Parts: sequence; C-alpha cells; structure tokens
Amino acid sequence: MDQFIQLTVDGLTLGSVYALIALGYTLVYGVLKLLNFAHGDVFMVGTFVGFGVLQVLGGPANPKVPIWLVITLVTLAAMAVCAALGVAIERFAYRPLRDAPRIAPLISALGVSFFLANSMQLLFGATPRNYDLFQYHTGTLYLRGLHIGGVTVPLLRIITIVAAFILMVILWFLVNKTRTGKAMRATSFDREAAAMMGIDIDRVIVFTFILGSALAGAAGVMFSLRVPTNVSIGFIAGLKGFIAAVIGGIGSIPGAMAGGLILGFLESYIQGYVHGAHIPDGTQWSDLYVFSVLIALMLFRHQGLFGRPDIRKV
Amino acid sequence: MSDSTPHGFHSTGADGPAIGQDEWVARHADVRFLPARFAVVERRLRVVSWWAWLTLFVGLFCLFPIVETSGYVRQVAFQTVLYMLLALGLNVVVGWGGLLDLGYVAFYGIGAYAYALLDSPHYGIHLPTIVSVPVIVLIGALAGLVLGLPSWRLTGDYLAIVTLFFLQLFQTVTTNWQNVTGGPFGILNIDAFGLPGGHKLKTEHGGVFAVSYLYVALAIFVVVFVALRLLNNSRTGRAWRSLREDPLAAEAMGMPVNWLKLLAFSCGAAVAALTGTLNAALFGNVFPLNFYFITLITIYTMVILGGSGNQAGVVLGALIISPLLELLRDADKSRVLFFVALFGGLAILGRRNRRIAMVAGATLVFGFVLHAIARAIDGGWVAGQPGAGGFATFVDHWVIAPQQPARWIAPVAYIGVIVAALLCSVLRGIVRDIALVPTIYLGAFVWENVMLSKPDPARYIVLGLILIVLMVLRPNGLLGERRVEIV
Amino acid sequence: MDLLELNDVSLSFGGLKVVDGLDLHVKEGEIVSVIGPNGAGKTTLFNLITGIYRPHNGDIHFDGQSIVGLEPHQICCRGISRTFQTLRLFLNMSVKENVMAACYGHTKAGIFRSMLRTPGMRREERAIEELARKRLSFFGQRLMGYRWDQPAYSLSYANRRRLEIARATATNPRLLLLDEPAAGMNPSETHEITELIGQLRTEGGYTILVIEHDMHVVEGISDRVVALDHGIKIAEGSFEQVATNEKVVEAYLGLNSMSSK
Repeated sequence: MDQFIQLTVDGLTLGSVYALIALGYTLVYGVLKLLNFAHGDVFMVGTFVGFGVLQVLGGPANPKVPIWLVITLVTLAAMAVCAALGVAIERFAYRPLRDAPRIAPLISALGVSFFLANSMQLLFGATPRNYDLFQYHTGTLYLRGLHIGGVTVPLLRIITIVAAFILMVILWFLVNKTRTGKAMRATSFDREAAAMMGIDIDRVIVFTFILGSALAGAAGVMFSLRVPTNVSIGFIAGLKGFIAAVIGGIGSIPGAMAGGLILGFLESYIQGYVHGAHIPDGTQWSDLYVFSVLIALMLFRHQGLFGRPDIRKV
Repeated sequence: MSDSTPHGFHSTGADGPAIGQDEWVARHADVRFLPARFAVVERRLRVVSWWAWLTLFVGLFCLFPIVETSGYVRQVAFQTVLYMLLALGLNVVVGWGGLLDLGYVAFYGIGAYAYALLDSPHYGIHLPTIVSVPVIVLIGALAGLVLGLPSWRLTGDYLAIVTLFFLQLFQTVTTNWQNVTGGPFGILNIDAFGLPGGHKLKTEHGGVFAVSYLYVALAIFVVVFVALRLLNNSRTGRAWRSLREDPLAAEAMGMPVNWLKLLAFSCGAAVAALTGTLNAALFGNVFPLNFYFITLITIYTMVILGGSGNQAGVVLGALIISPLLELLRDADKSRVLFFVALFGGLAILGRRNRRIAMVAGATLVFGFVLHAIARAIDGGWVAGQPGAGGFATFVDHWVIAPQQPARWIAPVAYIGVIVAALLCSVLRGIVRDIALVPTIYLGAFVWENVMLSKPDPARYIVLGLILIVLMVLRPNGLLGERRVEIV
Repeated sequence: MDLLELNDVSLSFGGLKVVDGLDLHVKEGEIVSVIGPNGAGKTTLFNLITGIYRPHNGDIHFDGQSIVGLEPHQICCRGISRTFQTLRLFLNMSVKENVMAACYGHTKAGIFRSMLRTPGMRREERAIEELARKRLSFFGQRLMGYRWDQPAYSLSYANRRRLEIARATATNPRLLLLDEPAAGMNPSETHEITELIGQLRTEGGYTILVIEHDMHVVEGISDRVVALDHGIKIAEGSFEQVATNEKVVEAYLGLNSMSSK
C-alpha cells in the first residue's frame, strides 16, 4: 500500500511535468499543424536556465533571498528565457516555411532540435546539473511534508504539483477567456479564414509559441527539482511529452493535461511493479513499454482520447 | 508534330525558347549552374547520360587510392561510400515515396547487428558471407515491411514520430538486452567478409585500412545505384512519385498505395541493412550508439543538401558532408576550412555585389585593428596560440584569443553571435552591412575560441545549421528541382 | 444488363445523411449526367462508387459483381476511373508520367524485372508509352509536343482538366466518372468539352457518368439526367423532363421563386 501511494505521488509529479510539456506540443500543433520537434530541447534549455539562476541566487544551501522567492524566480526566469527562445525559433526556422510542403518545417524542426542540444553541450558539457533538493532550507522542503499512510510526501512535490495546476488554470483562462485566446482557437480551425476575418496570424502564432515554450520552461524547473538534468534529456522528454499529447488527442488542451497524467502514472507504476528482475536496468525497459503502448494507441486510435476523428475530405 | 519524338527542354536550342512556349520552358531554359559564357558547355554536359556520369565518377573514385596512400584518408573514403549508400536508400523512402522515415538508421543497425550475430565468435556462428549477406538484406527488407505497416493509417507527423519511436525501441533493446546484443559494450571481433575459397577479405593491411573494402563498397554502390535508378524509371517508381504527390489520386488511379508504401520502406531498409553488413565487416565491432540520432541527422542532411528525390544529388550530398565531418574533427583543418569557407564565400558573393566585398574588406580591417587594441591593453587577450604555419599566422594576428578565457566568455560570445546573425537576417540596407562586420568577426572569434576545442558538438552544430538554413533558403537542395505543392 | 447498379445506397456523416436510399442504373454506352445544387451529394456519390467511402447501407454492382468493400485501386482495376472536381494531378511529374503512372493497374513488371530491365518489361514500357501518346493526342496538340515532358504544374487550368481526363482514360476503364469537367472553363472551352465527351463515347467506347453544373453541357451530352438534392434522387429522365420537373426547379431556385411564378 505504501508503495502504491509512493508511486501515485511520483506519477502525479511526473505526470504534471509531462502535461506541461504536452501542452506546448498541443498548442503549437493546434495552431500551426506542426510537430515541434525542438520543443523537448526548449525544455532542456529551461532546466539549465533554472540551474544558472539558482547559482546566481547563491545556490540552494545558502540562498540570498527567501527560499520561496528562489523557486519563484528560478521558474520565472526559465519561463522567460524559454519563451524568448520559442519566439526566435518560430520567427527564424518555421515562419519562412509556413507555406512550404508539410515535410519542410518538420525537417527544419529536426535541425533546430539537433542544433540546440549540441549547442548546450558545447557550452556546458555533458555533466549532469543537480538542483540539490536535499539542501533547500536545510532539507525542510524535502524531508517535511504531508503524511499519507506510512509515506511522507515532500513539500517540494506538493509545490510542484500545485504550481503545475496553477499554470494549467492560467493557460485555460488565457485560451478560453481572452481575445487572443479566441483568435488562437479561430486560427486553429482555419488559418486562412481567420486571417481574412482580420486576425493577425503572426501575432497569434507568436503568442502560441510564447505560451508553449514558457510552459516548457516551467516544466524544466519542476523536472529538475526531481532528478538532475543534462544536455541530452531534451530528446526523451520531448518524446514523452509528445506521447502525452497524443494520448489525450493532439490539439486538445484538456487532452494534453489528462494525457500527461496518464503517462506519468503509467510510467511510475510500470517502474514500480513490472520490474523485469533479470534485467539490470529495469527503468530503461519501462520506456520500452511506454513506447509500445504509444505505438499501439497511435495505430488504433490516433485521434487520442479527447480528439475527434477527422473525416477525409475529397 | 504528334509523330515526331517528344523532346525535353534541353533541346530548345541556343536561341532560347521559341515563341508560344510556356513560361515554364522559358524559365527552365534559363536555369544554369555555370556562368552564362559556359552555356554551351553546360548544355553539352546536360545531355550526357546518367550512366556515363556514373562510370566517370566511379572510375575516378577507383583511382583515388592510387593517388592517396594514407590509410586514414582511404578509410574516410570508404565511410563516404557507406554514406552514399545510406543516402540512396533514404532517398527511396523520403525523396520518392514522400514518407518521413525517422527510423531509417535502425535498419542500418539491424543489418550490422544481424551480421555481428551471424558472423562472429559471439555465438560462434560463422556463416559464409555469400549466405549471410543476402539473408540480412532479406531480414532488413522484412523489418522495413513491418515498420511500413503504421504508414497504412498514419501520415506526415504521426508517421515520423512512430518511426522515431522505432529507432528508440531499437536503441533501448540493443542497449539493454545484454545477453544478445552485448549492451553498451557492443559485439566485438566480427568476421571480415569471406571469399569463396575460405579466405577472409583482410580489413587491414600492415596496420592500415585495406583498400579492397573500398572496392567492395564501390561495387555495391554501383549495383544499388543502377538498380534503384532503373526501378525509379519503371511503373513502381512512377507509382511512388504519384504517391508522394497525391496518395488519394494515386489510389483512385489504380495504384495500391498501401503496398507501395511498404515497398518503399522495404527497399530503403534493404539498402540500409546491406550497408550495415559492410560497416560491421570492416570495423569488426558494433555499438548501439553508432546507429542513433546523430547518424540519422547526418544522413538526412546529406539527402536534403543534395536534393531529396535526385539520386545524383543525394550522392553529392554524402560526398560533401562525410569528408566535411572528418575535417571538422581536427582543429587545424577545421580552422582552415572555416576561414576558407568564410572569405571564399565572401569573395564569391563580393564579385557580384560590391557591398558584400566592402563588408569583407571592412571585416579584415576591423579584425586587425581590434586585435592591435586588445594586444595594447593586455597581452593575455591575444596569447591563445593557434599553432604555427600559414593560416595560423594570419589567424594569430587577426582573431583575439585569450589564453585563459573567463568561463562566461564562451556562452556570451556564442549566444551573442547567434543573436547577431539572426538580427542581420532581418535588417536591410546599410545598417545590415555595418552590423555584418562585427557579426562575422564575432563568428570567427567563436569558431576559434569555443568550437575548435570541442569538435564533437561543433560538428553537429554545423549539421543542424545546414539543415535549418537549407530548409529556409533552398529546400530543394543543390541538385533537386523546386517542387510545387499547391498552385 | 446494366453496367453500374446502385441499390438503396446510403451514407451519413454523424447525423447528416449525405446520400439516402439512392438507386441509380447506368447502361453500357450511356452518358448519364448527375445534377443538383451544391451539397446535394454528387461528389459523395462518386466517392462511394470509387470506394473512397463505404456505403453504410445498400449495394453497388459493377458489371454484375458487387464492388462494395473493395479498395479504390481494386475498383479502378475492375474498370471504373474518375476525375476530380478539385484537380488532383501529380503536379511535379511530367505530363507523360502522369498518364503512364495511371497504367499501373494493367501492367505487371515487378521490382526485380524493372531493375533487370527484362525484355518483357521493356515491351510493357513501350506499350504504355504508346498508350500515353494515344490518350494525350486525343486532345490534339495541346498536351503533345514539348508539353509532353513538362511538369503538370506548368499547364494551364484547362489543360490540367484535359490531362485529368487523359489520365483517367489511361487506366483503360469501361466506366468513366467525370466530376464537373467544364468547371472554370470559358465558353469556347466548355463547348469543346461538350464535344469531347461525346467523342469519348464514340471513339473510346466508354460509358460515362458526369457531374455538371453547366446546363448547356448537360443538355448537349446527356442520354439521361439524374437530379439529386440532399442525397435523395428527386428526378430522373431526359434533359427536358428533368429540367421542367417541379422538384428540380424548386431545389435550384428555392420555393419562393416557384410561388411567385
């Protein structure tokens, strides 16, 4: 039972990170019908920006400002830098290709992803960066927390989960209640028609990239509060985020949230229960299960759980 | 005129297109690779048939080991032939079939691993090459059929991601299934190719690369090139291209689209698997990471650079990229390459555009002046020695190279040059020309101080940049024709 | 016996009935026009016949055999070919290749024979090249000569329509489905298309089912006219009969204009 609770909490944390990444995919896909391969690497950059700001603020053990402010500033900085990066990528790698054949922006996105990952390796090397979560406030954030059964849920986990949900609520509000959000939804239905109705498509797309990339930045910080980061996590994190988006139905915002959580639980339980005892590194194989589930899902219900099947128009 | 033989636009004659012909003909008669005064030469070159070019190319390549005796260079040539083969295979799927296959490298790996299992002490199986290679090609083709299955239901982005998952699956399995694949330590001591008499084709000769493998690879290349060329010019090739243009119309015109997709995947996979056996037989070992994202991006860059869909183009792409990656490994060669490319490019552009020429001159002056100032303030700023000899001397007097650069310099300079370059691409007129001068200099600074010391990420950054810039500026590559999607 | 028979065919998307209980019979050698306002289900009817959509109900027989459930390419090989309302040429392939590609269904050379260029394969290639020339020269010089090697995207709109017809006939069909062949053409081109459809029957021997909005074309070519509205057949008969049918006039002009007459 304790293990179950532990795994559930893990799954929820992991799931909210995946959900935030998935939202970035879904937003961009919804508006541009483009699979943004570089999204995972934007996330990776976010983890590094967070680490850098953490060091500037004096490191986790002896911060110059209160610990709550440290976490907030780290997250905001990562979000801001990622948003700027997302806008730059859109402006220079995708916008010139907006009317090109479908395959062109995909290949450009592959190039951006490769470029970002290797640039970060060039500048910061392959050593992992650890946010040192045990150090926060002499360990209180990690050692104290909610007691459920025999399990202590660290405060840091709770903060992560709550922050993720707050961000999702803000996103929901932005998309559903603001003028720009309305323009976004219109654009995702029919870009040309939206343009003719006086919507500034470029602005909408830039806004979309800001939202998606900022969420990836926040996800990056939350991810690194769990495990150390390195320059090559972008690829796998991107794949996982994409899986989450597909599970929920790509293009659907609640779908991405649900998909992220489902994937988080799935991965957590598989790692906990299906342990392939004869294989030394069981966690690696959990990816294999996750990918297999995804391939099956894509083949049999590629519109996902919340998406609608599209009618082939002739 | 209906009884006359149909003719292409090449024969429209030196007087240009005749009156009444469409604009397209006029435009295409105008497309030239060579300057206008070589128009006659170019027209003659264009009517030379493809097999003549192929013979010439392969003939020259065969002569190459005679001229070049370095084992290392010969091995690079061998690797280039492998990449040419891989590019040819990928071209079938991406260029002709129009299917974005990101799992392609997995088939390369499947071929290599299959050969490693069938011909190595790992299991003690030593099949004759004449048996194992065809079997592996068949295995590759079958694996291609299996990966092709998702293409029945998925297209575009979804297909791309499923094939990418396949690559990831392959990677996970080869890394973790240690009993069979040896895990991250790979499989070692793989047999060389066997000759019918029971002899082994030596992989090295007196400690250096044995040139016989280059010829084996070239022979295979010729066979694959010709086979695919003929296939493209048949009903199957036409059907593939129809599928790329419009799957629904192809289906309605009697082409079994699903089967054709499988066939495209399968043909590409067979070529990749065949190349994999060559790789394993020569190098004698296989590791999971040889068949991963980096290799995938490399092959894609080749195909895109040369012109996806054009066989000669993708071969040219491999011929450019593969040696380029080797040159970038070495700091001295990398430096020469960078400055030759930079000032060579500026000189070529400057011949037509005087402002570019002025930018180039201004950059040169800017460099010397800045260098002198820096030296006057603090000798340590220019003390990072790039080595001796012609080019290095120039670089030594031109680029600032701090002996012990502060840790913040690399990220700031690197990000700075990217931002500056992006800004230059949106600026216009005199402002851009002025902005270009420090940007180019900063680029040289970054190359000298940041990139040279870390060849591995630096090489791949160049690949990524080539991909992005190509897609934005010339998606049809060097030899491909620009495609029209909707008119 | 009828070449094409649709019995009680229905199809709906979600709750919307696009085709509802449709019966349609086309005899060998006939030219039948399908008319009806936009959204009446005409193109859907073509998609049903060619297997792109599968009917939820009813049966489609071609030459006495049911073709429901067959893949579109199988139906094409049985002898039904079509053009598209929104042109769907293989734009980046040459005019010749567009037509030769459509010969896929009645050629046999596999990949190994193609790679080896066996004599049989070469004979086949020569045959379909000859066929392509024949199909294209049906339109006079327009698609021949230098245009033969030009990519399809370089053609004018009217020539693209012609090329679509040529491509459709290259599959050696018995039944030809033409989806608005005169759409977007000027009066003289429209006139030419009208004559051409007649020639397709007399010289090519095709049975033709055609969707057309231009009533002059319909009048000029049709043996029989079928009018659809909201997926239901509202009239059938000679052009005069259908054109004066109350329901048809109502469907086209609306009820009010009827009452004001």
